[in-house]
Amino acid sequence: MNPLITTLMTTTTTGRAKASTTRTTFHRETTVSTVINADEAIIWALLTNAADHPRWNSTVISIQGSIAPGERIVLKSTLDPQRSFKLKVMEFEPARKLVWGDGKGRRTFALKNNGDGTVTFTMHERIGGLLFPMYAKYIPPFDASFEAFAADLKKEAELIQSRSH
Amino acid sequence: MLDLVTLTSEFERCRPALRSYILRITASRQDAEDIAQETWIRAQRSLEGFKGDSSVKTWLYAIAQNIARDHLRALKRWPEEVGDICKDAAMKDPDFFREAMTIRQTSPHGAFEIREHIAFCFTCVSRSLPLEQQIAVMLKEVHGFSVKEIAGIMENSEAMVKYWLYTGRGRMIEVFDRRCALINKEGVCHQCTELNGIFNPKQNAQEEAVKIQMVRDAGNKDKEHLFDLRMKVLQELDPFTSPAAELQLHHLEFDRKVMEGRAIQA
Repeated sequence: MNPLITTLMTTTTTGRAKASTTRTTFHRETTVSTVINADEAIIWALLTNAADHPRWNSTVISIQGSIAPGERIVLKSTLDPQRSFKLKVMEFEPARKLVWGDGKGRRTFALKNNGDGTVTFTMHERIGGLLFPMYAKYIPPFDASFEAFAADLKKEAELIQSRSH
Repeated sequence: MLDLVTLTSEFERCRPALRSYILRITASRQDAEDIAQETWIRAQRSLEGFKGDSSVKTWLYAIAQNIARDHLRALKRWPEEVGDICKDAAMKDPDFFREAMTIRQTSPHGAFEIREHIAFCFTCVSRSLPLEQQIAVMLKEVHGFSVKEIAGIMENSEAMVKYWLYTGRGRMIEVFDRRCALINKEGVCHQCTELNGIFNPKQNAQEEAVKIQMVRDAGNKDKEHLFDLRMKVLQELDPFTSPAAELQLHHLEFDRKVMEGRAIQA
């Protein structure tokens, strides 16, 4: 694995990957990265099976629609349960990269095969725009939610990988 | 090199299990017969294409799976409440019980057995799974293929098969744990014991049910174990030749028609 990525990947006191956030006047960016001991096909299947998210992902209440190229989805998150986020799948490279978003932000999911049976999963969201300073205070921090997402994904993917069947 | 004599012999050996597998994923007797026949035709045509990378049995299942998958992709999946929906339809259809009673009284395969209804029920409820999950679960849990063999049959990676098995099995455990009164006193579905009362009025349904190990073990709360025992019931039955085959195939055909009728109306 790239030593730089290893250096950047920090963990919380509970052993979970720690998210980090940077802010500028017009943007906010949050990133989390974790190494998962599972095949990228399993991780990709978990990420792209919309109906299955609530089963393993504690940050998602529901995702309606199909996570497929060009499709639109409606996401309900525990971060703001009253809202439904209408998002478009903007990039879809199987087992490598998934991007969804709307006019205010883009979330990128990236998988990198480390060649040693592990995969580095990175989730990054950039929100903002010219009007960002006006509504920034209404957007809750993402860090804890990102850390929970990454931890849930890692746990579920490694559990499936370890099943001998 | 595979020759026609060996293929014929292997196909005849596999045919009963293959036909049962197709029935269990299509829920259609006619489809099972047709797809098994089409598998034989395609296997003969592709004889020279068999490279010996897998067993002949696995190769035949791969051919059958491709035909069945193409057919099933065009059809709607069923809801997990398929039993409730079809029960309501049966109660409104005087022909259903008249036909069933005739089979019960005249057919050598017209017995009603709770364990056979358990297998019938799983066939129906498993159609609520996404297709790939249903196929993977049937191949692994009922027909005994390894993850590697299933990956070959489904033309996908072992990792994806593991994902389908894990999610499909987990979903079925959750559905039956919630619905099946045989393993959960709060379960909403009592159809097998209700039907036992209709078809075997002199029997005590509870006494019949506890002859099944899954029911006897229901108190231990190990859901994985109970699912394995449910799968054992399916493994031990051939839905075309079992003592209750004709009655259960009649039920299955009724359910299929009800669900396809709903899909057309929708």
